[in-house]
Amino acid sequence: MSDIVIDVQDLTKSYGRVRAVRDIDLKVRRGEIFGYLGPNGAGKTTTMRCLLDLIRPDGGTVRVLGLDPQADAVAVQARAGYLPGELRLDPNMTVEGALRYFNALRGNKVDWGFVRQLTERLDLDLKPIIKNLSHGNKQKVGVVQALMHRPELLLLDEPTLGLDPLMQHEVLRLITEAKAGGATVFFSSHIMPEVEAVAERVAIIRKGVVVEVAEPASLINRAVRRSKVRFKQAVDISSLANLPGVTVLSQDDGTSVLLQVEGEMDDLIKALAAFPVSDFETERPSLEEIFLAYYEDDQKEE
Amino acid sequence: MVTIFRYTLRRFRGQILGWGVALALLCVLLVSMYDTIGAQQEQLEDLLKFYPAEFTAFFGDFSSFGTPEGFLSVELLSYMPLILGIFAVLRGSGLVVSDEENGRLDLIIAYPVSRTALFMGRLLAFVTATVAILAICWLGIVVPMNWSSMDIGWGRIWLPLLSVLAELLVFGTLALLLSMVLPSRRLAATTAGLLLVSSFFITGLAHISEDLETIAKLSPLNYYQTQDAFQGLNGAWLAGLLVAAVVFAALAWWRFQRRDIRVGGEGGWRLPSVSLPFRRRAGE
Repeated sequence: MSDIVIDVQDLTKSYGRVRAVRDIDLKVRRGEIFGYLGPNGAGKTTTMRCLLDLIRPDGGTVRVLGLDPQADAVAVQARAGYLPGELRLDPNMTVEGALRYFNALRGNKVDWGFVRQLTERLDLDLKPIIKNLSHGNKQKVGVVQALMHRPELLLLDEPTLGLDPLMQHEVLRLITEAKAGGATVFFSSHIMPEVEAVAERVAIIRKGVVVEVAEPASLINRAVRRSKVRFKQAVDISSLANLPGVTVLSQDDGTSVLLQVEGEMDDLIKALAAFPVSDFETERPSLEEIFLAYYEDDQKEE
Repeated sequence: MVTIFRYTLRRFRGQILGWGVALALLCVLLVSMYDTIGAQQEQLEDLLKFYPAEFTAFFGDFSSFGTPEGFLSVELLSYMPLILGIFAVLRGSGLVVSDEENGRLDLIIAYPVSRTALFMGRLLAFVTATVAILAICWLGIVVPMNWSSMDIGWGRIWLPLLSVLAELLVFGTLALLLSMVLPSRRLAATTAGLLLVSSFFITGLAHISEDLETIAKLSPLNYYQTQDAFQGLNGAWLAGLLVAAVVFAALAWWRFQRRDIRVGGEGGWRLPSVSLPFRRRAGE
Protein backbone atom coordinates (compact mmCIF):
# COMPACT_ATOMS: atom_id res chain seq x y z
CA MET A 1 0.00 0.00 0.00
CA SER A 2 1.44 3.34 -1.08
CA ASP A 3 2.39 5.83 1.60
CA ILE A 4 1.19 8.69 -0.60
CA VAL A 5 -2.58 9.12 -0.58
CA ILE A 6 -2.80 12.24 -2.72
CA ASP A 7 -0.24 12.65 -5.46
CA VAL A 8 -0.70 15.69 -7.67
CA GLN A 9 1.84 16.65 -10.32
CA ASP A 10 1.79 19.69 -12.58
CA LEU A 11 -1.95 20.11 -12.09
CA THR A 12 -3.34 22.86 -14.29
CA LYS A 13 -6.93 23.92 -14.67
CA SER A 14 -8.40 26.94 -16.42
CA TYR A 15 -11.91 28.30 -16.73
CA GLY A 16 -11.87 29.96 -20.09
CA ARG A 17 -9.11 32.54 -19.92
CA VAL A 18 -8.86 32.36 -16.14
CA ARG A 19 -6.16 30.01 -14.86
CA ALA A 20 -7.51 28.62 -11.61
CA VAL A 21 -4.50 26.49 -10.73
CA ARG A 22 -1.12 26.17 -12.40
CA ASP A 23 1.53 23.44 -12.19
CA ILE A 24 0.53 22.32 -8.73
CA ASP A 25 2.60 19.61 -7.08
CA LEU A 26 1.32 18.09 -3.86
CA LYS A 27 1.95 14.90 -1.98
CA VAL A 28 -0.17 14.05 1.03
CA ARG A 29 1.03 11.13 3.12
CA ARG A 30 -1.16 8.41 4.54
CA GLY A 31 -2.55 9.27 7.94
CA GLU A 32 -1.56 12.94 8.01
CA ILE A 33 -3.67 16.05 8.40
CA PHE A 34 -2.77 18.39 5.60
CA GLY A 35 -3.93 22.00 5.61
CA TYR A 36 -4.47 23.81 2.36
CA LEU A 37 -4.36 27.55 2.81
CA GLY A 38 -5.05 30.44 0.54
CA PRO A 39 -7.25 33.47 0.10
CA ASN A 40 -10.56 33.28 -1.74
CA GLY A 41 -10.11 32.42 -5.38
CA ALA A 42 -6.59 31.08 -4.89
CA GLY A 43 -7.50 27.66 -6.29
CA LYS A 44 -8.14 25.56 -3.17
CA THR A 45 -11.60 24.39 -4.19
CA THR A 46 -10.51 23.76 -7.77
CA THR A 47 -7.71 21.48 -6.54
CA MET A 48 -10.07 19.62 -4.24
CA ARG A 49 -12.69 19.14 -6.94
CA CYS A 50 -10.08 17.72 -9.33
CA LEU A 51 -9.28 15.08 -6.71
CA LEU A 52 -12.85 13.77 -6.86
CA ASP A 53 -13.32 14.07 -10.62
CA LEU A 54 -15.94 16.78 -10.24
CA ILE A 55 -13.89 18.77 -12.74
CA ARG A 56 -11.28 17.55 -15.21
CA PRO A 57 -7.77 19.02 -15.20
CA ASP A 58 -6.35 20.57 -18.35
CA GLY A 59 -2.93 19.17 -17.57
CA GLY A 60 -0.93 17.21 -15.06
CA THR A 61 -1.64 13.99 -13.25
CA VAL A 62 -3.72 13.26 -10.17
CA ARG A 63 -3.62 10.05 -8.15
CA VAL A 64 -5.86 9.60 -5.13
CA LEU A 65 -5.53 6.48 -2.96
CA GLY A 66 -3.38 5.08 -5.73
CA LEU A 67 -6.14 5.52 -8.31
CA ASP A 68 -6.76 7.86 -11.21
CA PRO A 69 -9.95 9.76 -10.26
CA GLN A 70 -10.99 10.11 -13.88
CA ALA A 71 -10.70 6.42 -14.61
CA ASP A 72 -11.85 5.12 -11.19
CA ALA A 73 -14.07 7.91 -9.91
CA VAL A 74 -16.53 5.65 -8.11
CA ALA A 75 -13.75 3.68 -6.38
CA VAL A 76 -12.14 6.91 -5.16
CA GLN A 77 -15.46 8.38 -4.06
CA ALA A 78 -16.38 5.21 -2.18
CA ARG A 79 -13.26 5.57 -0.03
CA ALA A 80 -13.41 9.34 0.43
CA GLY A 81 -15.63 11.70 2.38
CA TYR A 82 -16.16 15.16 0.93
CA LEU A 83 -17.48 18.39 2.38
CA PRO A 84 -17.88 21.06 -0.31
CA GLY A 85 -17.05 24.67 0.43
CA GLU A 86 -20.50 25.78 -0.63
CA LEU A 87 -22.71 23.12 0.86
CA ARG A 88 -26.20 22.91 -0.65
CA LEU A 89 -28.73 20.35 0.54
CA ASP A 90 -32.26 19.51 -0.56
CA PRO A 91 -34.21 22.09 1.46
CA ASN A 92 -37.34 19.95 1.69
CA MET A 93 -35.75 16.94 3.36
CA THR A 94 -35.39 16.44 7.07
CA VAL A 95 -31.88 16.11 8.48
CA GLU A 96 -32.47 12.38 8.98
CA GLY A 97 -33.96 12.05 5.47
CA ALA A 98 -30.92 13.72 3.94
CA LEU A 99 -28.47 11.55 5.91
CA ARG A 100 -30.42 8.37 5.04
CA TYR A 101 -30.37 9.41 1.39
CA PHE A 102 -26.60 9.89 1.55
CA ASN A 103 -26.35 6.51 3.26
CA ALA A 104 -28.39 4.95 0.44
CA LEU A 105 -25.99 6.48 -2.09
CA ARG A 106 -23.24 4.59 -0.28
CA GLY A 107 -25.18 1.34 -0.52
CA ASN A 108 -26.60 1.53 3.04
CA LYS A 109 -23.24 0.53 4.49
CA VAL A 110 -23.10 3.23 7.15
CA ASP A 111 -23.30 2.29 10.81
CA TRP A 112 -26.32 4.33 11.90
CA GLY A 113 -25.21 4.18 15.52
CA PHE A 114 -22.09 6.12 14.51
CA VAL A 115 -24.28 8.68 12.74
CA ARG A 116 -26.21 9.18 15.98
CA GLN A 117 -22.94 9.60 17.88
CA LEU A 118 -21.80 12.25 15.43
CA THR A 119 -25.10 14.16 15.52
CA GLU A 120 -25.14 14.06 19.31
CA ARG A 121 -21.61 15.36 19.54
CA LEU A 122 -22.43 18.15 17.14
CA ASP A 123 -25.73 18.83 18.88
CA LEU A 124 -27.62 18.28 15.64
CA ASP A 125 -31.31 17.40 15.79
CA LEU A 126 -32.35 14.85 13.14
CA LYS A 127 -35.97 15.94 12.89
CA PRO A 128 -35.97 19.50 11.44
CA ILE A 129 -36.39 20.22 7.75
CA ILE A 130 -33.19 21.43 6.14
CA LYS A 131 -34.65 24.73 4.97
CA ASN A 132 -35.44 25.64 8.59
CA LEU A 133 -31.85 25.10 9.73
CA SER A 134 -29.32 27.83 10.40
CA HIS A 135 -26.19 27.97 8.27
CA GLY A 136 -24.19 26.44 11.09
CA ASN A 137 -26.55 23.49 11.49
CA LYS A 138 -26.50 22.85 7.73
CA GLN A 139 -22.72 22.79 7.98
CA LYS A 140 -23.01 20.18 10.73
CA VAL A 141 -25.07 17.99 8.36
CA GLY A 142 -22.25 18.40 5.85
CA VAL A 143 -19.64 17.38 8.41
CA VAL A 144 -21.66 14.32 9.47
CA GLN A 145 -22.22 13.11 5.90
CA ALA A 146 -18.50 13.44 5.20
CA LEU A 147 -17.48 11.44 8.28
CA MET A 148 -20.30 8.94 8.72
CA HIS A 149 -18.85 6.12 6.63
CA ARG A 150 -15.43 6.37 8.30
CA PRO A 151 -13.61 7.17 5.04
CA GLU A 152 -9.93 6.55 4.40
CA LEU A 153 -9.61 10.04 3.00
CA LEU A 154 -11.38 13.19 4.12
CA LEU A 155 -11.52 16.14 1.74
CA LEU A 156 -12.94 19.05 3.66
CA ASP A 157 -13.35 22.48 2.15
CA GLU A 158 -13.66 24.94 5.04
CA PRO A 159 -15.10 22.39 7.50
CA THR A 160 -15.72 24.85 10.34
CA LEU A 161 -17.31 27.55 8.21
CA GLY A 162 -20.26 29.13 10.00
CA LEU A 163 -19.84 27.12 13.21
CA ASP A 164 -19.62 28.66 16.65
CA PRO A 165 -16.26 28.30 18.49
CA LEU A 166 -17.46 25.33 20.55
CA MET A 167 -18.55 23.45 17.47
CA GLN A 168 -15.39 24.45 15.62
CA HIS A 169 -13.47 22.83 18.42
CA GLU A 170 -15.64 19.71 18.25
CA VAL A 171 -15.18 19.39 14.49
CA LEU A 172 -11.42 19.68 14.92
CA ARG A 173 -11.62 16.92 17.52
CA LEU A 174 -13.55 14.75 15.07
CA ILE A 175 -10.89 15.40 12.45
CA THR A 176 -8.07 14.41 14.79
CA GLU A 177 -10.04 11.33 15.86
CA ALA A 178 -10.51 10.39 12.21
CA LYS A 179 -6.75 10.68 11.78
CA ALA A 180 -6.21 8.56 14.86
CA GLY A 181 -8.46 5.97 13.23
CA GLY A 182 -6.15 5.91 10.21
CA ALA A 183 -7.78 8.46 7.95
CA THR A 184 -5.89 10.99 5.89
CA VAL A 185 -7.31 14.50 6.05
CA PHE A 186 -6.90 17.17 3.39
CA PHE A 187 -8.65 20.33 4.40
CA SER A 188 -8.77 23.98 3.54
CA SER A 189 -9.44 26.71 6.02
CA HIS A 190 -9.27 30.42 6.55
CA ILE A 191 -8.96 30.07 10.30
CA MET A 192 -5.22 29.89 10.89
CA PRO A 193 -5.24 28.97 14.60
CA GLU A 194 -7.23 25.83 13.79
CA VAL A 195 -4.87 24.89 10.98
CA GLU A 196 -1.95 25.47 13.30
CA ALA A 197 -3.65 23.35 15.94
CA VAL A 198 -4.34 20.25 13.86
CA ALA A 199 -2.37 20.30 10.59
CA GLU A 200 0.88 18.41 10.42
CA ARG A 201 1.81 20.02 7.13
CA VAL A 202 0.37 22.93 5.23
CA ALA A 203 0.51 24.17 1.67
CA ILE A 204 -0.02 27.83 0.86
CA ILE A 205 -1.58 28.49 -2.50
CA ARG A 206 -1.54 31.92 -4.07
CA LYS A 207 -3.04 32.84 -7.42
CA GLY A 208 -3.29 29.20 -8.40
CA VAL A 209 0.31 28.34 -7.52
CA VAL A 210 1.50 26.47 -4.44
CA VAL A 211 4.15 28.74 -2.97
CA GLU A 212 5.02 26.82 0.18
CA VAL A 213 4.63 23.32 1.59
CA ALA A 214 5.95 22.83 5.11
CA GLU A 215 5.16 21.92 8.67
CA PRO A 216 3.52 24.85 10.50
CA ALA A 217 6.33 24.89 13.08
CA SER A 218 8.94 25.01 10.36
CA LEU A 219 7.14 27.88 8.65
CA ILE A 220 7.01 29.75 11.93
CA ASN A 221 10.67 29.05 12.68
CA ARG A 222 11.68 30.26 9.27
CA ALA A 223 9.70 33.44 9.61
CA VAL A 224 11.14 36.87 10.32
CA ARG A 225 10.62 37.87 13.94
CA ARG A 226 11.71 40.70 16.18
CA SER A 227 13.66 40.21 19.41
CA LYS A 228 14.48 42.78 22.07
CA VAL A 229 17.48 42.19 24.30
CA ARG A 230 18.34 44.24 27.43
CA PHE A 231 21.79 44.06 28.97
CA LYS A 232 22.91 44.70 32.54
CA GLN A 233 25.56 47.11 31.20
CA ALA A 234 26.55 48.70 27.92
CA VAL A 235 28.06 46.15 25.53
CA ASP A 236 29.51 46.05 22.05
CA ILE A 237 26.93 44.30 19.91
CA SER A 238 28.86 44.23 16.65
CA SER A 239 29.27 40.45 17.00
CA LEU A 240 25.47 40.09 17.08
CA ALA A 241 25.06 42.19 13.96
CA ASN A 242 27.41 39.88 12.11
CA LEU A 243 25.33 36.78 12.80
CA PRO A 244 23.70 35.29 9.69
CA GLY A 245 20.03 36.33 9.39
CA VAL A 246 20.30 38.94 12.14
CA THR A 247 19.77 42.63 11.48
CA VAL A 248 20.08 45.37 14.10
CA LEU A 249 17.03 47.58 13.89
CA SER A 250 17.86 49.94 16.74
CA GLN A 251 20.00 50.19 19.88
CA ASP A 252 20.06 52.37 22.98
CA ASP A 253 23.55 53.33 24.24
CA GLY A 254 24.62 49.70 24.27
CA THR A 255 22.18 48.60 27.01
CA SER A 256 19.39 47.35 24.76
CA VAL A 257 18.98 46.34 21.16
CA LEU A 258 16.10 45.50 18.82
CA LEU A 259 16.98 42.77 16.35
CA GLN A 260 15.26 41.28 13.34
CA VAL A 261 15.95 37.56 13.06
CA GLU A 262 15.27 35.59 9.94
CA GLY A 263 15.14 31.83 10.35
CA GLU A 264 16.28 29.78 13.34
CA MET A 265 17.06 31.52 16.65
CA ASP A 266 19.79 29.08 17.60
CA ASP A 267 22.82 31.19 16.57
CA LEU A 268 21.50 34.28 18.30
CA ILE A 269 20.74 32.49 21.58
CA LYS A 270 24.23 30.96 21.61
CA ALA A 271 25.83 34.31 20.88
CA LEU A 272 23.86 36.02 23.64
CA ALA A 273 25.30 33.59 26.16
CA ALA A 274 28.48 35.66 26.07
CA PHE A 275 26.63 38.83 27.14
CA PRO A 276 25.23 39.96 30.51
CA VAL A 277 21.58 39.67 29.45
CA SER A 278 18.98 41.04 31.87
CA ASP A 279 15.92 40.47 29.67
CA PHE A 280 15.04 38.84 26.38
CA GLU A 281 11.75 39.19 24.52
CA THR A 282 10.84 37.71 21.22
CA GLU A 283 7.57 37.57 19.38
CA ARG A 284 6.44 34.26 18.00
CA PRO A 285 4.67 34.89 14.70
CA SER A 286 1.49 32.94 14.19
CA LEU A 287 0.71 30.98 11.09
CA GLU A 288 -1.83 33.67 10.40
CA GLU A 289 0.86 36.33 10.22
CA ILE A 290 2.92 34.20 7.88
CA PHE A 291 -0.12 33.59 5.72
CA LEU A 292 -0.96 37.30 5.76
CA ALA A 293 2.59 38.11 4.72
CA TYR A 294 2.01 36.11 1.53
CA TYR A 295 -1.34 37.76 1.10
CA GLU A 296 0.08 41.24 1.58
CA ASP A 297 2.54 40.56 -1.22
CA ASP A 298 -0.46 39.97 -3.44
CA GLN A 299 -2.05 43.22 -2.43
CA LYS A 300 1.16 45.13 -3.07
CA GLU A 301 1.42 43.60 -6.53
CA GLU A 302 -2.13 44.68 -7.26
CA MET B 1 -29.15 4.11 -9.86
CA VAL B 2 -32.22 2.86 -7.98
CA THR B 3 -31.62 5.37 -5.17
CA ILE B 4 -31.25 8.22 -7.65
CA PHE B 5 -34.38 7.06 -9.50
CA ARG B 6 -36.49 6.85 -6.34
CA TYR B 7 -35.24 10.17 -5.01
CA THR B 8 -35.86 11.96 -8.31
CA LEU B 9 -39.30 10.39 -8.70
CA ARG B 10 -40.16 11.53 -5.17
CA ARG B 11 -39.23 15.06 -6.18
CA PHE B 12 -41.53 14.70 -9.21
CA ARG B 13 -44.52 13.80 -7.02
CA GLY B 14 -45.96 17.30 -6.98
CA GLN B 15 -45.49 17.69 -10.72
CA ILE B 16 -47.16 14.36 -11.45
CA LEU B 17 -50.14 15.20 -9.28
CA GLY B 18 -50.41 18.79 -10.46
CA TRP B 19 -50.19 18.11 -14.18
CA GLY B 20 -51.98 14.76 -14.02
CA VAL B 21 -54.95 15.89 -11.95
CA ALA B 22 -55.37 19.16 -13.88
CA LEU B 23 -55.42 17.32 -17.21
CA ALA B 24 -57.61 14.54 -15.84
CA LEU B 25 -60.18 17.12 -14.66
CA LEU B 26 -60.15 18.68 -18.12
CA CYS B 27 -60.69 15.22 -19.62
CA VAL B 28 -63.58 14.53 -17.25
CA LEU B 29 -65.18 17.82 -18.26
CA LEU B 30 -64.74 17.16 -21.98
CA VAL B 31 -66.02 13.58 -21.92
CA SER B 32 -68.98 14.66 -19.79
CA MET B 33 -69.80 17.39 -22.33
CA TYR B 34 -69.65 15.00 -25.27
CA ASP B 35 -73.35 14.02 -25.14
CA THR B 36 -74.50 17.64 -24.88
CA ILE B 37 -72.34 18.68 -27.79
CA GLY B 38 -73.39 15.59 -29.76
CA ALA B 39 -77.05 16.67 -29.48
CA GLN B 40 -76.18 19.87 -31.32
CA GLN B 41 -73.97 18.14 -33.83
CA GLU B 42 -75.52 19.54 -37.00
CA GLN B 43 -75.48 23.17 -35.86
CA LEU B 44 -71.88 22.79 -34.71
CA GLU B 45 -70.77 21.31 -38.00
CA ASP B 46 -72.43 24.21 -39.82
CA LEU B 47 -70.59 26.64 -37.56
CA LEU B 48 -67.25 24.91 -38.06
CA LYS B 49 -67.57 25.28 -41.83
CA PHE B 50 -67.16 29.03 -41.37
CA TYR B 51 -63.94 28.70 -39.37
CA PRO B 52 -60.89 29.85 -41.35
CA ALA B 53 -58.56 27.13 -42.59
CA GLU B 54 -55.67 28.78 -40.69
CA PHE B 55 -57.51 28.08 -37.47
CA THR B 56 -58.68 24.55 -38.15
CA ALA B 57 -55.24 23.53 -39.44
CA PHE B 58 -53.97 23.36 -35.87
CA PHE B 59 -56.80 21.31 -34.44
CA GLY B 60 -57.21 18.38 -36.79
CA ASP B 61 -60.08 17.11 -38.90
CA PHE B 62 -63.23 19.03 -37.94
CA SER B 63 -65.39 16.93 -40.29
CA SER B 64 -65.30 14.06 -37.84
CA PHE B 65 -65.99 16.24 -34.80
CA GLY B 66 -69.16 14.25 -34.18
CA THR B 67 -67.35 10.98 -33.60
CA PRO B 68 -65.83 10.23 -30.16
CA GLU B 69 -62.36 9.96 -31.71
CA GLY B 70 -62.74 13.19 -33.67
CA PHE B 71 -64.13 15.01 -30.64
CA LEU B 72 -61.25 13.94 -28.41
CA SER B 73 -58.73 14.79 -31.12
CA VAL B 74 -60.02 18.31 -31.66
CA GLU B 75 -60.83 19.15 -28.05
CA LEU B 76 -57.87 17.55 -26.30
CA LEU B 77 -55.25 15.66 -28.23
CA SER B 78 -54.52 18.35 -30.83
CA TYR B 79 -52.85 20.65 -28.29
CA MET B 80 -51.81 18.12 -25.65
CA PRO B 81 -48.14 17.89 -26.75
CA LEU B 82 -47.92 21.67 -26.60
CA ILE B 83 -49.36 21.87 -23.08
CA LEU B 84 -47.53 18.89 -21.65
CA GLY B 85 -44.50 19.94 -23.68
CA ILE B 86 -44.05 22.74 -21.12
CA PHE B 87 -43.63 20.07 -18.45
CA ALA B 88 -41.25 18.07 -20.64
CA VAL B 89 -39.10 21.07 -21.54
CA LEU B 90 -38.90 22.44 -17.99
CA ARG B 91 -38.19 19.10 -16.36
CA GLY B 92 -35.88 17.90 -19.12
CA SER B 93 -33.76 21.04 -19.03
CA GLY B 94 -33.52 20.89 -15.24
CA LEU B 95 -33.06 17.15 -14.87
CA VAL B 96 -29.35 17.51 -14.13
CA VAL B 97 -28.57 21.19 -14.46
CA SER B 98 -31.01 22.62 -11.91
CA ASP B 99 -29.17 20.74 -9.14
CA GLU B 100 -25.90 21.83 -10.67
CA GLU B 101 -26.92 25.48 -10.70
CA ASN B 102 -28.09 25.42 -7.11
CA GLY B 103 -24.92 23.66 -6.00
CA ARG B 104 -26.42 20.34 -4.89
CA LEU B 105 -24.87 18.24 -7.63
CA ASP B 106 -21.37 19.01 -6.34
CA LEU B 107 -22.02 16.87 -3.28
CA ILE B 108 -24.12 14.15 -4.93
CA ILE B 109 -21.57 13.49 -7.66
CA ALA B 110 -18.86 13.12 -5.00
CA TYR B 111 -20.68 10.02 -3.75
CA PRO B 112 -19.87 6.61 -5.23
CA VAL B 113 -22.49 6.90 -7.94
CA SER B 114 -21.20 6.95 -11.49
CA ARG B 115 -22.25 9.79 -13.73
CA THR B 116 -24.00 7.21 -15.93
CA ALA B 117 -26.02 5.87 -12.99
CA LEU B 118 -26.96 9.39 -11.92
CA PHE B 119 -27.95 10.38 -15.44
CA MET B 120 -29.90 7.20 -16.16
CA GLY B 121 -31.63 7.21 -12.77
CA ARG B 122 -32.87 10.73 -13.35
CA LEU B 123 -33.84 10.09 -16.97
CA LEU B 124 -35.79 7.02 -15.97
CA ALA B 125 -37.61 9.03 -13.30
CA PHE B 126 -38.50 11.66 -15.91
CA VAL B 127 -39.90 8.97 -18.25
CA THR B 128 -41.83 7.40 -15.37
CA ALA B 129 -43.25 10.77 -14.32
CA THR B 130 -44.35 11.50 -17.89
CA VAL B 131 -46.03 8.08 -18.18
CA ALA B 132 -47.69 8.64 -14.78
CA ILE B 133 -49.15 12.00 -15.89
CA LEU B 134 -50.51 10.39 -19.05
CA ALA B 135 -51.90 7.49 -17.01
CA ILE B 136 -53.80 9.91 -14.75
CA CYS B 137 -55.02 11.69 -17.88
CA TRP B 138 -56.13 8.32 -19.31
CA LEU B 139 -58.12 7.69 -16.15
CA GLY B 140 -59.72 11.10 -16.64
CA ILE B 141 -61.02 9.88 -20.00
CA VAL B 142 -62.03 6.30 -19.25
CA VAL B 143 -63.78 6.89 -15.91
CA PRO B 144 -66.37 9.43 -17.19
CA MET B 145 -66.94 7.20 -20.24
CA ASN B 146 -69.05 5.11 -17.82
CA TRP B 147 -71.74 7.82 -17.77
CA SER B 148 -71.19 9.11 -21.28
CA SER B 149 -72.22 7.70 -24.64
CA MET B 150 -68.60 8.08 -25.74
CA ASP B 151 -67.52 4.58 -26.49
CA ILE B 152 -63.87 4.07 -27.21
CA GLY B 153 -62.15 0.99 -25.86
CA TRP B 154 -59.98 1.61 -22.79
CA GLY B 155 -56.98 0.20 -24.56
CA ARG B 156 -57.54 2.27 -27.70
CA ILE B 157 -57.38 5.50 -25.66
CA TRP B 158 -53.73 4.67 -25.03
CA LEU B 159 -52.84 4.72 -28.73
CA PRO B 160 -52.79 8.52 -29.22
CA LEU B 161 -51.42 8.90 -25.69
CA LEU B 162 -48.44 6.80 -26.75
CA SER B 163 -47.86 9.28 -29.54
CA VAL B 164 -48.07 12.13 -26.98
CA LEU B 165 -45.55 10.25 -24.84
CA ALA B 166 -43.13 9.92 -27.77
CA GLU B 167 -43.40 13.67 -28.47
CA LEU B 168 -42.81 14.54 -24.83
CA LEU B 169 -39.77 12.31 -24.71
CA VAL B 170 -38.38 13.98 -27.83
CA PHE B 171 -38.78 17.49 -26.41
CA GLY B 172 -37.73 16.47 -22.88
CA THR B 173 -34.52 14.85 -24.06
CA LEU B 174 -33.87 17.71 -26.48
CA ALA B 175 -34.13 20.13 -23.54
CA LEU B 176 -31.81 17.84 -21.56
CA LEU B 177 -29.27 17.85 -24.37
CA LEU B 178 -29.47 21.63 -24.68
CA SER B 179 -28.94 21.98 -20.92
CA MET B 180 -25.69 20.05 -21.33
CA VAL B 181 -24.29 22.33 -24.01
CA LEU B 182 -25.79 25.74 -23.23
CA PRO B 183 -24.54 27.84 -20.29
CA SER B 184 -27.72 27.81 -18.23
CA ARG B 185 -30.85 25.84 -17.62
CA ARG B 186 -32.97 28.88 -18.42
CA LEU B 187 -31.42 29.26 -21.86
CA ALA B 188 -31.86 25.55 -22.56
CA ALA B 189 -35.52 25.65 -21.52
CA THR B 190 -36.17 28.79 -23.57
CA THR B 191 -34.53 27.32 -26.68
CA ALA B 192 -36.34 23.99 -26.36
CA GLY B 193 -39.61 25.83 -25.69
CA LEU B 194 -39.16 27.92 -28.82
CA LEU B 195 -38.50 24.78 -30.84
CA LEU B 196 -41.65 23.20 -29.40
CA VAL B 197 -43.84 26.18 -30.30
CA SER B 198 -42.18 26.54 -33.72
CA SER B 199 -42.80 22.86 -34.38
CA PHE B 200 -46.48 23.29 -33.48
CA PHE B 201 -46.92 26.24 -35.83
CA ILE B 202 -44.88 24.82 -38.70
CA THR B 203 -46.76 21.53 -38.55
CA GLY B 204 -50.13 23.28 -38.42
CA LEU B 205 -49.37 25.80 -41.15
CA ALA B 206 -47.92 23.10 -43.40
CA HIS B 207 -51.51 21.84 -43.81
CA ILE B 208 -52.44 25.02 -45.62
CA SER B 209 -49.13 26.03 -47.19
CA GLU B 210 -47.23 23.70 -49.47
CA ASP B 211 -44.09 25.83 -49.03
CA LEU B 212 -43.79 24.60 -45.45
CA GLU B 213 -44.21 20.91 -46.22
CA THR B 214 -40.48 20.29 -46.62
CA ILE B 215 -39.47 21.99 -43.39
CA ALA B 216 -42.40 20.39 -41.60
CA LYS B 217 -40.78 17.02 -42.20
CA LEU B 218 -38.11 18.09 -39.72
CA SER B 219 -40.72 19.01 -37.15
CA PRO B 220 -41.31 16.34 -34.46
CA LEU B 221 -44.98 17.29 -34.23
CA ASN B 222 -45.37 16.38 -37.91
CA TYR B 223 -45.23 12.77 -36.74
CA TYR B 224 -47.73 13.22 -33.95
CA GLN B 225 -50.78 11.01 -34.33
CA THR B 226 -54.16 11.98 -32.92
CA GLN B 227 -57.36 10.75 -34.55
CA ASP B 228 -55.61 8.35 -36.92
CA ALA B 229 -53.93 6.67 -33.97
CA PHE B 230 -57.27 5.26 -32.81
CA GLN B 231 -57.33 3.08 -35.93
CA GLY B 232 -53.76 1.92 -35.33
CA LEU B 233 -50.49 3.68 -34.73
CA ASN B 234 -48.04 4.37 -37.50
CA GLY B 235 -45.25 2.27 -36.05
CA ALA B 236 -42.54 3.88 -38.16
CA TRP B 237 -43.46 7.36 -36.96
CA LEU B 238 -43.61 6.27 -33.35
CA ALA B 239 -40.32 4.42 -33.63
CA GLY B 240 -38.74 7.42 -35.38
CA LEU B 241 -39.72 9.72 -32.52
CA LEU B 242 -38.46 7.27 -29.92
CA VAL B 243 -35.16 6.86 -31.79
CA ALA B 244 -34.80 10.66 -31.87
CA ALA B 245 -35.39 10.76 -28.09
CA VAL B 246 -32.81 8.03 -27.55
CA VAL B 247 -30.28 9.88 -29.73
CA PHE B 248 -30.83 13.16 -27.84
CA ALA B 249 -30.54 11.35 -24.50
CA ALA B 250 -27.38 9.53 -25.62
CA LEU B 251 -25.76 12.78 -26.75
CA ALA B 252 -26.71 14.43 -23.45
CA TRP B 253 -25.24 11.47 -21.52
CA TRP B 254 -22.06 11.61 -23.61
CA ARG B 255 -21.68 15.31 -22.89
CA PHE B 256 -22.40 14.83 -19.17
CA GLN B 257 -19.64 12.21 -18.96
CA ARG B 258 -17.07 14.70 -20.20
CA ARG B 259 -18.03 18.00 -18.70
CA ASP B 260 -17.07 19.71 -15.47
CA ILE B 261 -19.62 19.98 -12.70
CA ARG B 262 -20.06 23.69 -12.25
CA VAL B 263 -20.58 25.42 -8.93
CA GLY B 264 -22.58 28.62 -9.01
CA GLY B 265 -21.82 29.25 -12.66
CA GLU B 266 -18.13 28.49 -12.25
CA GLY B 267 -16.63 27.66 -15.61
CA GLY B 268 -19.82 28.53 -17.41
CA TRP B 269 -19.97 30.74 -20.42
CA ARG B 270 -22.28 33.44 -21.58
CA LEU B 271 -23.53 34.46 -24.94
CA PRO B 272 -21.43 37.41 -26.11
CA SER B 273 -23.03 40.65 -25.01
CA VAL B 274 -24.06 42.96 -27.79
CA SER B 275 -22.84 46.51 -27.32
CA LEU B 276 -25.42 48.84 -28.69
CA PRO B 277 -24.14 52.03 -30.34
CA PHE B 278 -26.63 54.20 -28.48
CA ARG B 279 -25.81 52.73 -25.07
CA ARG B 280 -24.08 55.40 -23.00
CA ARG B 281 -21.44 54.59 -20.50
CA ALA B 282 -21.92 55.55 -16.89
CA GLY B 283 -20.68 59.04 -16.26
CA GLU B 284 -21.02 60.19 -19.82
